[in-house]
Amino acid sequence: MMLHLGPIIFGFIIGFILGTRLNTNSENAVKLTIASFIAIFIVILIIAWQLGPYPYYDDLPIATGFVSSAIGLIVAKLIFGK
Amino acid sequence: MSPILKLFALPVSFIIICLGVLTILGGHITPGGGFQGGAMIAAGVILCVVVYGVKDSPIKFSHDFISLIESIGALGYVLIGLAGLLFSGFFLYNVGADFYNILPQMIVNIFHYPDPTNAGIVPYLNIFVGLKVFVGLSAVVIAFSEFKK
Repeated sequence: MMLHLGPIIFGFIIGFILGTRLNTNSENAVKLTIASFIAIFIVILIIAWQLGPYPYYDDLPIATGFVSSAIGLIVAKLIFGK
Repeated sequence: MSPILKLFALPVSFIIICLGVLTILGGHITPGGGFQGGAMIAAGVILCVVVYGVKDSPIKFSHDFISLIESIGALGYVLIGLAGLLFSGFFLYNVGADFYNILPQMIVNIFHYPDPTNAGIVPYLNIFVGLKVFVGLSAVVIAFSEFKK
């Protein structure tokens, strides 16, 4: 089994770009803690499993671009987020 | 907006954004691509702007960020096209796939998208278009929602 790196790398990069703009500590917005992000990530893993190896890949049984973009969003939020 | 919507909107926009990224990354072999995926990402951002308001939105795009990503999108597209012109003599020639066998293997390896479809530069073009579209559409909505009566 060979891992296809394209969607993993570029999904992470696009997710990372968007995650740098996340600010969940605003007064009127809902505050998301690390536990909330873990819950969202579990939901994202379930969705990625249901999507399957999109688009027509055969390396992993989940949509790798979907998961890596979510990881990029959360990592960038934890590094740069306010 | 109501607290239920405020609780609901950000996780859903997360999922919409990730689906947009997935649409961009599958654009070379499935329906979708840069514009459609970028529009989906912008939909996630717009959902946050509508529910939380521009000032309190958890996903905030500054003017500098919007201009930077727009510029990267446009310049990246043109530069990949110019790479084709430089190496093969044709603007936007697919230097990552090289269907006419006119390029050295080293240049093909540089531009080859790492997946089994042999798509070459098409996924990169999708990514640049996606970057440009998501900030473009978001900028329109952010600008409209900042207008005063």
